[in-house]
Amino acid sequence: MSDFDTIKKEVRALVSDITEVPEEELTDEATFTDDLGIDSMMALEIVASIEKKYKVVIPEEKIPTITSLGNVFLMLEELLGK
Amino acid sequence: MEAVWDIQKIQDTLPQKYPFLFVDRVIAINEEEKSITCLKEVSINDYFFQGHFPGNPVMPGVIIIEALAQASILLYAALRPVEAGKKPDYFLGKVDAKFFSPVRVGDQLMLEVKAEKLLSKGGIVTAEAKVDGETVTSARIVFGVKPRE
Repeated sequence: MSDFDTIKKEVRALVSDITEVPEEELTDEATFTDDLGIDSMMALEIVASIEKKYKVVIPEEKIPTITSLGNVFLMLEELLGK
Repeated sequence: MEAVWDIQKIQDTLPQKYPFLFVDRVIAINEEEKSITCLKEVSINDYFFQGHFPGNPVMPGVIIIEALAQASILLYAALRPVEAGKKPDYFLGKVDAKFFSPVRVGDQLMLEVKAEKLLSKGGIVTAEAKVDGETVTSARIVFGVKPRE
């Protein structure tokens, strides 16, 4: 498993923990608000947890683009330069 | 203790008003650390003591949380004066709290709040309420900020 696959697994678990959505429902494509019922407060918690865990800073203007787990991975890939 | 913000400025900033205003003074603001220290003087005149409890006045835990939430709004206003100046609505998203000891009449309740993450539309803070230097309540608060339409 590559480093980034491990990170993906960790992030999926982290998002599941915050949102109380089971990991199997957290597909890359499922949209946070419409499909999964994740609200802006949970999104804020996800952002803060990722920042803490991976020591990155997610710029405020990027946050509206985080609409699915797939988008989180893309952003994280960019921030970590993987 | 000298105030950096007096009650007038606090009343101008917080949407909450008497008898639901639980910050008397802002003691310190540290913009670099993104933290604030506020004071609430716990008085027998506080309205909630009429019922909580007759003959045994103890400050309700939920009111301590409210005081910490109000201190969080003041921190937001100090760090983001432009957004706060537009008088948005503030709402609670989530609170994780622990209560260690009761707060009684005559206590000086120090409200120490530090931003973990602060955005224009909300924030996450860690907060501690202390009496005589001892933590009586600790909490992590997630809140939202919504501009008025």
